[in-house]
Amino acid sequence: MKCLLIASESAEVLFHWTDPEFQQNVQKQYGASQEDGQGLPAFEDSISTLFAPIIISCITMVDRLRDSYTSFTTENHHIYVLHQFDECLYIAVNGDGEEGECDLRRKIYVVKKMTEVLFGMVTLSSNLLRKELRPQDTEQRARLWKHLQSLLQTYGHLRENDQSFLVEAVERLIHPTLCEQCIEFLERRLVQQLNSSGERAGEEVMHAFILVHTKLLAFYSSRNASSLSTSDLLVLIIMAQNMYPSNTDSDDPNPEVENDRRTSGSGPESFYTPEPSPPPDRGSSSSGGFCGRCCSVYSYLVSHLSFAFAKLEKRLSEGQEGSAATRGQRTIHEVRGKLDKFIKALGPTEIQVCWIEFKNLAFTRGGPGFSRHLIPSCKKMKTQLCAVYRQCFLLESGSSSIPQRLSPGLQERAQSMVQEKLMDWKDFLLVKSRRNITMDFPGLIHFICVDRSTGQMIAPSLNLTERNTSELGKGPLAQFIRRKVWTLVNTTRRYLQKGYSTVTFRDGDFYFCYFLWFENETGFKLEAGDLPVLSDDSAPIGMLAWDYYRKLLRYYSKSHQGEVVKCYELLTVHLGVVPAEIILQHCRQLASKLWEPSRNPLL
Amino acid sequence: MTELMQPDSRRCTYFFLYDGSKVKGEGDLTREGICYFYPEETPLDEQELLCGQLAGAGRCVSELSSSPVCVLRLRRNKFAIRMKDDFFWALGCPVEVPTISVCELLDQLINLFRFYNGSVRRSYQLNRPETLASRWAQYLSHLQSGSSDLHHIFSCLRTIDATNIDPLLLLKAALILQACQRCPLVSAGCVLFRGRVVSTQISPELTMKVMVHESETYTKGPRCNDPGTFNSFGGAVSSTTVFLTVSELQHLQSGPGDKDFRSHSTPHKKKPTRKTRLSRTLSNTPSTESEPSDAFSSPSFSRRLSDSSVFSPDPSQSGADPTPQQPDPPFSNGEPSPEAEEEVPEESNYESFHSNGNGVSQMHNEAGGSLFGEDSRLNGGGGDGDAARGPVFDFRGAEESRDHNVFEEVSGGGCGNVQGRGAESPDPARSDDSPLIPMTLYLHRVKGLVLALLVEPCFLSDTDSMEEVYHSSLASLNGLEAHLRTVSPGASGPQGPYLFAHFDCVQSTLTTNLSARPGGALQRPFVRATSLLHSHFCNTETLQEAIIRSAGAAVYGTRSVAQETYFQQHGGSLRNSGIPNHQDSAFSLPGKARHRLLKHGVNLI
Repeated sequence: MKCLLIASESAEVLFHWTDPEFQQNVQKQYGASQEDGQGLPAFEDSISTLFAPIIISCITMVDRLRDSYTSFTTENHHIYVLHQFDECLYIAVNGDGEEGECDLRRKIYVVKKMTEVLFGMVTLSSNLLRKELRPQDTEQRARLWKHLQSLLQTYGHLRENDQSFLVEAVERLIHPTLCEQCIEFLERRLVQQLNSSGERAGEEVMHAFILVHTKLLAFYSSRNASSLSTSDLLVLIIMAQNMYPSNTDSDDPNPEVENDRRTSGSGPESFYTPEPSPPPDRGSSSSGGFCGRCCSVYSYLVSHLSFAFAKLEKRLSEGQEGSAATRGQRTIHEVRGKLDKFIKALGPTEIQVCWIEFKNLAFTRGGPGFSRHLIPSCKKMKTQLCAVYRQCFLLESGSSSIPQRLSPGLQERAQSMVQEKLMDWKDFLLVKSRRNITMDFPGLIHFICVDRSTGQMIAPSLNLTERNTSELGKGPLAQFIRRKVWTLVNTTRRYLQKGYSTVTFRDGDFYFCYFLWFENETGFKLEAGDLPVLSDDSAPIGMLAWDYYRKLLRYYSKSHQGEVVKCYELLTVHLGVVPAEIILQHCRQLASKLWEPSRNPLL
Repeated sequence: MTELMQPDSRRCTYFFLYDGSKVKGEGDLTREGICYFYPEETPLDEQELLCGQLAGAGRCVSELSSSPVCVLRLRRNKFAIRMKDDFFWALGCPVEVPTISVCELLDQLINLFRFYNGSVRRSYQLNRPETLASRWAQYLSHLQSGSSDLHHIFSCLRTIDATNIDPLLLLKAALILQACQRCPLVSAGCVLFRGRVVSTQISPELTMKVMVHESETYTKGPRCNDPGTFNSFGGAVSSTTVFLTVSELQHLQSGPGDKDFRSHSTPHKKKPTRKTRLSRTLSNTPSTESEPSDAFSSPSFSRRLSDSSVFSPDPSQSGADPTPQQPDPPFSNGEPSPEAEEEVPEESNYESFHSNGNGVSQMHNEAGGSLFGEDSRLNGGGGDGDAARGPVFDFRGAEESRDHNVFEEVSGGGCGNVQGRGAESPDPARSDDSPLIPMTLYLHRVKGLVLALLVEPCFLSDTDSMEEVYHSSLASLNGLEAHLRTVSPGASGPQGPYLFAHFDCVQSTLTTNLSARPGGALQRPFVRATSLLHSHFCNTETLQEAIIRSAGAAVYGTRSVAQETYFQQHGGSLRNSGIPNHQDSAFSLPGKARHRLLKHGVNLI
């Protein structure tokens, strides 16, 4: 029983996703309230009718009490999580016990991230989001929703089954030699060939990477590309998985079949994924007259400006005038010159008119200045900037609602090149992807180690299929451990949210440890400082939808200026009978060994 | 990253009871439905906003999920919610209070109301809202008064500090209670001193309820003209009608001692010595698993039913005054009034007996059916013991499912039950129409000391029994009071270079060396960690021990079925890098706790 919906401030449902169970439930409810025996209304109508009172109540609470609902729990364990991003309200529901409150909140952040990756900064304004998520053409809308729903489903599947999506960090296939070869191949052959092809239509490949299932084998970025954040890379992996789902968890009894499918070209073994639209906070492709680095700078500026206006609008509408609004005001002052230049470069457009109007209101002596009167103009500027961003830095999707950057021909060529290159390695890679790392600590059952500065993780495999037994073997024990590991990650996040960086539990027959620590570049362990204590409804801890660790590093670095600070996490599961000293010794060894340069020069 | 939590000493930020049945039509004002709102000084439009929005959104969610909402969170407050019929209760606390504690507080509050007033719906039909509002206020202030943050986290009983008291005094208190039980009309009781428990024979939940009346009479002082007090005992004795749930009554009757035997024996007959319940442990705590049907089929239960039908107080009287009262005590004119024995009140305060309250013999036969007559699920129950068994298990089921809801707190993963508590806690106002059985709370005060007994309603009309109980305990109570008065209040503030809290889940008592004053800067990290760990323990049944460390404090928590213990060591170097290190002082906490806490009577081995 799952549901996720996005509603505008006028209680219009902009997007929804429900599983069949929830759909049935709604239809039953609606059927029960319909007395006249007429046919059921369209599902979309029922769902907006049923949720409308909650949405309206939420808006009323914000307007009048400056507080809003964050969650409801019912006696039969249904959970409703609500979160407002700017003008839109997101509601996630679970009624089957598979997701907790934190999972639902995370899902909301992920769907927001997805829409931003697909459409740019549209989540700032309900109008823009509405335009993207509810196209007039119903067929187009259905296609778009289906795509987004499928992305969500893929994400949900990965979150439940893939350790790298559990901890939200990229897992690398550890094979230095092969990795190096692949990077060279990507740079010298693949990217070069694509970029010199006539078919590319002005596009330039900025990043290219090879995945084996969800694990990263090689990653290449062109020299003039801005770096790709872990968050974006994780979303790209979700998109890749959505396009080419890997059936690691299907119990396929016949290996031949899978093998055939794989060689037919649609298999999961390896592929090249064209870069989708750049994420909202940095542009890395060229179009619309800007190019290369210049584009990067401008897109950053535009997104920065949009946020500045959004913030100012929020402050003003919350009634903070004068001094309280000055933080936003200062930002606007700072960027005034830049914005002037940028708008001049754009030429005569609608945004120019808005900007002049804004300047007249805000900066003219004797004018209203930074007060409530500025709100409509602020809103206009924000919307205009978001639109400019979309226009200049994202490719219009054209007929297809799913952005495609490279022509299908080029995609195919890329794919076959990679397949050819890796043909000899195929079997090795498939095994390797399931047994990336092995353990030699008696009593240690499982561990996950994460380098949060690079957003990468290492862990023994926990795949549980008939054919692919993990380190733990298969069957109920492995399933049990897996569930424990998943719960443990959620629990330690809860403690981390409240400022606890070391946590150990004795739970049943097991002993769990969690450590978070900081090091400088030379590997010197830095003293643990006070970690921030966050509220229950704060953004989920992770790197996919909202990068907690980047903020944490920034926060921690304030007291370690002039040093490069790195952040690591280690999770272990031991048998409970192992003495605590031995357990801690294992942890210590793991912590120092795993990131030793000799073991993996590329990490 | 800047949303740091603000410590707030006030536990409850909002409490309201909203009656949706008063606001059905388009023109009905929301304020019509507000039965009680705390804080009372809240502007009316804000009251209306909160009641209207929360009840409205709550109802909408309940309809979508076909189940009442039990927890509702806002960014700045979290609310425990109870929805029953048209009533909507909401109790709001700051977000850092564990959800389970908020829910427990609301359950306690509603249960208190029902304990002293009976059915909520009925009370509102019979009384003016202002009268009942003052009672909600009274119960709320009682539950919030003078307790430390730790007490709030565990919702535990306030007990006297046993470490400063001669154990013989505790034994003496227990003996007083046992002596009173020689009278077959006395079920069980407790001895309280200045608002703290000295000894109790009844469940922690019931003891907590009894204490409200005690503290109220204490603050008011004895008044001879109070109709609840008895002049013949110099104003030291008072009584009030109280209402017990079926499970509470069962629990009361499944206590140690042969009730069947007792009910047949005369008050003067010598009883066999019973096991003292002074230092109850799990082993001699009455098992809640005991066959419920026993309680129903036992003569004493049948007797309870027939008794209550005969001696039910006149509802118009019991509700008219701020203090719940007994009907005109027969003692006021020296002898019992004969009508009282025969009269079956036309309007009964406890609906369960309302439907077929004619004649004792019928009651006796139809025990099961009449008791659950109001409950549609159970309609058609026959009169024999087997029919009664079903309903009882039904109630248990309902309780357990409620307990599951509360603990999404830590992991959001599997929901658990409160170990050792869930099963025992009485069903809260989960169903306002669940049967309530009237009993009488008898209080005998000697200055700061109070003997509180739950007695059969007919006890008050039985002069012999009453005098027997009064005189047999008087001297002992005086003696006990004199001794307790001289005991200095325990040295406050932390003793030793560590902090600890030890919670006994069975007796619902807390032992700690934290000073009672809230929010000492040194104590706050400990309280915060304890609160988180307690939620986690509640949530995860298999969790046995945990060590959690922030930059400032490392706290060790361990629990068994019967207890939870939390320990923090002061001083020593907490400087650490957070990397795994077996020399880290945090990992020596379990050993230190075991060693240090022995002298506080806490055995962690």
